[in-house]
Amino acid sequence: MSARVHLYFFCMALLLCGTAAAQSPPEDAEEVTLQAPYVDVYTGPGRGYPIFHALEYGETLWLLKRRTDWVKVSTRRGITGWVRIADLGEIYGEDDEQVVLPVPDYRDYRTQDFHLGFSYGDFDGASSLGMTLGYRFTANISAEVRATQAVGEFSDSQTYQVAVVHQPFPDWRLSPYFMLGTGINITSPNATIVATEDRRDTAMLTGVGIKTHLSRRFALRAELANHYLLTSRENNQEIVEWKLGFDVFL
Amino acid sequence: METGFRRFSVIIAASLLASAAWAQEDDDILGEIISPDLERREIREAQIDSENFEITVFAGGVMNVEDFGSNPLYGAALAYHINEDVFMEAGYGQTELGESSFERLSGSAPLLTDEQRELSYYNLSLAWNLFPGEYFLFDRWALNSNLYLIGGIGSTDFADEEHFTYNVGAGVRVLAKDWLALRLDVRDHIFEHEIFGEAQNTNNLSAQLGISIYF
Repeated sequence: MSARVHLYFFCMALLLCGTAAAQSPPEDAEEVTLQAPYVDVYTGPGRGYPIFHALEYGETLWLLKRRTDWVKVSTRRGITGWVRIADLGEIYGEDDEQVVLPVPDYRDYRTQDFHLGFSYGDFDGASSLGMTLGYRFTANISAEVRATQAVGEFSDSQTYQVAVVHQPFPDWRLSPYFMLGTGINITSPNATIVATEDRRDTAMLTGVGIKTHLSRRFALRAELANHYLLTSRENNQEIVEWKLGFDVFL
Repeated sequence: METGFRRFSVIIAASLLASAAWAQEDDDILGEIISPDLERREIREAQIDSENFEITVFAGGVMNVEDFGSNPLYGAALAYHINEDVFMEAGYGQTELGESSFERLSGSAPLLTDEQRELSYYNLSLAWNLFPGEYFLFDRWALNSNLYLIGGIGSTDFADEEHFTYNVGAGVRVLAKDWLALRLDVRDHIFEHEIFGEAQNTNNLSAQLGISIYF
């Protein structure tokens, strides 16, 4: 008899623990109610992972975190898995307000503030690797800080510039831009050829280019720039550079 | 005369009132038709964390630099996951060059100083998660995984020279937790150098084991 009572209490305790564990919302989780007919739950954040559960209409769930286009959710029953953001169009918060998980798109691209760019190019025969940090003041005008490293057969160079970029037609699918800037070019001839010193010249920069929104936070960008080096030698030097790269807006 | 004026003013007033009332009625009808009987629904963004960045520390690595032997490689990488298929990664690594076979065999003075033997590289690459899947460990665990192809451009610095470098490779990522992964990455760093007098294109292989954290 007493053994049975003990067993009973043990079972009750287990049940209570179990329910308490399953029902307590995880930290930093957002509680929402599902109003879609059903939603598939995957074991991982990818389309190929197995679907092991389906969420029902009216079910309460907790949104835990997000990775790319997937959200990790957990239910009252203690089931945890990944759900597509596209399937979570109909979720509502505690005050019956709709909860959305924004996916960056073209509109965000047009209203961006800061962007970070990476590029690959040809700097007068040398392969170049570039990085840009830009800030957009208006739809048309932005400023950029640019750094490029070029590695060539006869010399390596580094350029650091500030530039103003004007996009006359920011709404076009392929939007052209014009650029004016200034900076310094540091040229170091390869030591194996002749022993020479590094040269540091002031440079004027003009350029034209074209930008297009790729997807999400990314824009593709092609550019042709002319560096006019104000050297201390007899003649000034002109360097033509083309670049292909992409911008990530932050 | 007076009654005529009164009648006139009464007619005017009545017609004005009637038209006003008519207009009022008209407004109501239109209003009923036009004004939507819907409550504006509030919308807000979900307050949850995004874990699209991944930082990796490569501790157990080895890099073979053509003619200079294989040496331990240390490095780190920062990746941004664009979607479930594609991520981009900025990487950095450093190793030391050994003695070249020329230096060993000829017995002449070393070609490079110790400082010039320190090699470091950085690169920016784009990767494609070609085979996402799961690894099964005994009966108990199913670990999410990715096999990815990766390639990019960068720069390798040694012997006081920068060398423009292409890299291609493949890697495997096994996720122990949602935020913690083990990575094995094999890469070919392709660059041209002129240390032995004439320009030569070299393939330099590296393999590195790393631990990464998503945040």
